Amino acid sequence: MSSTYNSNAYNFGFLDENTKRMLRRALLKAVAIPGYQVPFGSREMPLPYGWGTGGIQVTAALLGPNDVLKVIDQGADDTTNAVNIRRFFGRVAGVATTERTADASVIQTRHRIPETPLREDQLLVFQVPEPEPLRTLEPREAETRTMHALADYGLMHVKLYEDIAQYGHIATSYDYPVMVDGRFLTSPSPIPKFDNPKLDRSPALMLFGAGREKRLYAIPPYTRVESLAFDDHPFEIQRWEHRCAICNAGDSYLDEVVVDDRGTRMFVCSDTDYCSQRSDNAATEEAA
Amino acid sequence: MYVAVKGGERAIARSLELLAEARRGDTAVPELELVQIRQQLRLGVARVMQEGSLYDEELAALAIRQAAGDLQEAIFLLRAYRTTLPRFGYTEPLTTQAMRVRRRVSGTFKDIPGGQVLGPTYDYTQRLLEFGPSIQNETVEADEPLAASMPRVLDLLDAEALIERIDPGSDPEPTDLTRDPLMFPADRATRLQNLARGDEGFLLGMAYSTQRGYAESHPFAGEIRMGEVDVLICPEELGFTIEIGEITLTECQMINQFHGGNGVPPQFTRGYGLTMGEGERKAMAMALVDRSLRCDELGEAAYAPAQNQEFVLSHSDNVEASGFVQHLKLPHYVDFQAELSLLRTLSAQQRKASAGQEALS
Amino acid sequence: MLAAFDHPVFDSQRNFRELLQAMARPAMPRTLPVLPPAPAPATPAAMAVLLTLCDTSTTVWLQQPHDALAQHLRFHTGARLVQEPAEADFALISDPQTMPPLTAFALGDSRYPDRSASLVLQVEGFHPGTGYRFAGPGIRDTERVRIDGLPERFWTERAALAPRFPLGIDLYFVAAQNVLALPRTTRKLED
Repeated sequence: MSSTYNSNAYNFGFLDENTKRMLRRALLKAVAIPGYQVPFGSREMPLPYGWGTGGIQVTAALLGPNDVLKVIDQGADDTTNAVNIRRFFGRVAGVATTERTADASVIQTRHRIPETPLREDQLLVFQVPEPEPLRTLEPREAETRTMHALADYGLMHVKLYEDIAQYGHIATSYDYPVMVDGRFLTSPSPIPKFDNPKLDRSPALMLFGAGREKRLYAIPPYTRVESLAFDDHPFEIQRWEHRCAICNAGDSYLDEVVVDDRGTRMFVCSDTDYCSQRSDNAATEEAA
Repeated sequence: MYVAVKGGERAIARSLELLAEARRGDTAVPELELVQIRQQLRLGVARVMQEGSLYDEELAALAIRQAAGDLQEAIFLLRAYRTTLPRFGYTEPLTTQAMRVRRRVSGTFKDIPGGQVLGPTYDYTQRLLEFGPSIQNETVEADEPLAASMPRVLDLLDAEALIERIDPGSDPEPTDLTRDPLMFPADRATRLQNLARGDEGFLLGMAYSTQRGYAESHPFAGEIRMGEVDVLICPEELGFTIEIGEITLTECQMINQFHGGNGVPPQFTRGYGLTMGEGERKAMAMALVDRSLRCDELGEAAYAPAQNQEFVLSHSDNVEASGFVQHLKLPHYVDFQAELSLLRTLSAQQRKASAGQEALS
Repeated sequence: MLAAFDHPVFDSQRNFRELLQAMARPAMPRTLPVLPPAPAPATPAAMAVLLTLCDTSTTVWLQQPHDALAQHLRFHTGARLVQEPAEADFALISDPQTMPPLTAFALGDSRYPDRSASLVLQVEGFHPGTGYRFAGPGIRDTERVRIDGLPERFWTERAALAPRFPLGIDLYFVAAQNVLALPRTTRKLED
């Protein structure tokens, strides 16, 4: 490369300070209007759109040298995309990283909320592919904006009601829509509905970034988050007949793993840190 | 005993090594030099600069080499680089009337002041593969120099008041799509900015659809010109304009029939396309799509995809599209598991229901 | 000309994290870790907020636009100073007793309620555990705090905005080294 361009010319956390300030202002407005999607000047990140660019930008606006970052995808720290995002921040911010939920000050996640309860001093950053919960029902942004302005969510209720009429219950198993503080219909990102109860009155601030769609939103701590339901069809989470084959947990979200070519299945925790903490504790107790 | 797959970090490192090896190929063959890419693959360089929104031939050439010739990947590389660059200022509007023209054709008039200038074009090459080494032509001298003045063809119609008039300076200050998110409804300057960054293939398909009846479109290529234009800035501390260089541009002005409507009298209307470097196909497609997106303003029936600005502008960007289409290869097993258990419940219900039906009958 | 942050990248990051927590946990004072110099009538805590959040893409309204303050802010942030409160993204209220009514500031529009003003109010002090009781998102049960130095009309004006949610104004109160936020969602309870 010619000497005109310096490959180390990136700022702490990759983004320039103007971009960080823009993100920070948007995040503060997002917190002030819980569940409302704030448009922001999403930048082109060195990772592809749809691969966590919104979460990465939010994280980059948050991180300082003293942070400890954890990145998970599908609940696991070692999936390739989680590894890649962690590597990215290691490279451009030099922050400490961890796989332990309890040790992290900032956790960036795709598709899960950790099983270990979060604390007030932790921040959870979600990667969001489609921030608009109404988008599959109404593709036009101009229309969905108006629906949010008027709190007109009839379309969503009709959809859920039709599910019940057709299938006997609501046929949404992930990215299950929620009402935040009784006002804004909000996408919890594609977490399984199993994780929805963890959004309600969480001690930790939760921030959501959709890079490709250029929207940010937030759920402040201790904020009412209700999963949509009807009186005669209350909200229910997934349950398993199995326990985790590794740590024997009966309260965590389980991945189904095909272990041989005869189709034998086993079930293991999707949250790899939760699983290994439990296994380690069990081993310690046994040794004692 | 099942052990969760570990070692993502090592797998990524090995993959990067394989990629580097595959990109370089046989090391006995000399590596492409950037100057070769710049000069001999100049149209690829132009497309990468245009859709990468950064006029820098050297960086575009570097991106093309790094991307092993995958232009969309090269565009992505350039975009991710430009996003961190500081802004020193904004240029004055470019004056394409003063372009030092190397190519200029019009489909609407047989002859025009300044003449038709074919320039370097593939239009009449007959597309026969040229086997063997490429032919080294001697440098040819022009029979006569090009006309000093090349007025824009549409300005000639303007004098007759047959074409809609665009008042210079009447546009509002354009928003910067690389700084502010796209909002709907988007004004024309914003739409053009989006189209200029848009994927050539996407725009080509959209433009083609307008010609095949999916929009009201009766276009004539009023003028296509390509050449060099000066870039001027007016630094606040100087208070006067200075030239900072020149860039190659391709501009297309389409002329479209219009029978009047929405308070606008019958007249020819304009569609506009502009690209950095030689990008004629893109500029023409852009001009057609620009015109079809003006349907609301001109009171035309809007029924076709190319007239729907949310549809066109939200899907034109290949960095966005490529990322989101390809994100499907990321793990989705948590959601898949959720769908699996939902499907099992539904199908169990259905079995129970049909068993009940049978028992009744 | 006074200096701004010694370490712009890290100082604004640290201050921002406190502002974020302040906004996420309303009515609870937080300590701003880095205070820059500030020309009168701005206080260092107010300047810390403005330097952290303002730049060339923001507009600022100064209640008391003294030359040295205006120049300082222009020089260090590039923010555009505006004459009308309604045009401001950020407003610095250096004398709350004489501040304009809250309705003078931008409340956002119903489709974009984020296009609303953020106010930085220099007050005399915070006294947690006494004074008014607050509730809303970010507050676990209720939070009691007395904010000294506000005119009584302030609370009436603020309460009048509540029915217009999601439109509204978000407030950062600063005193000494502390900041306390009241987003539009925080309700002052009647007791």
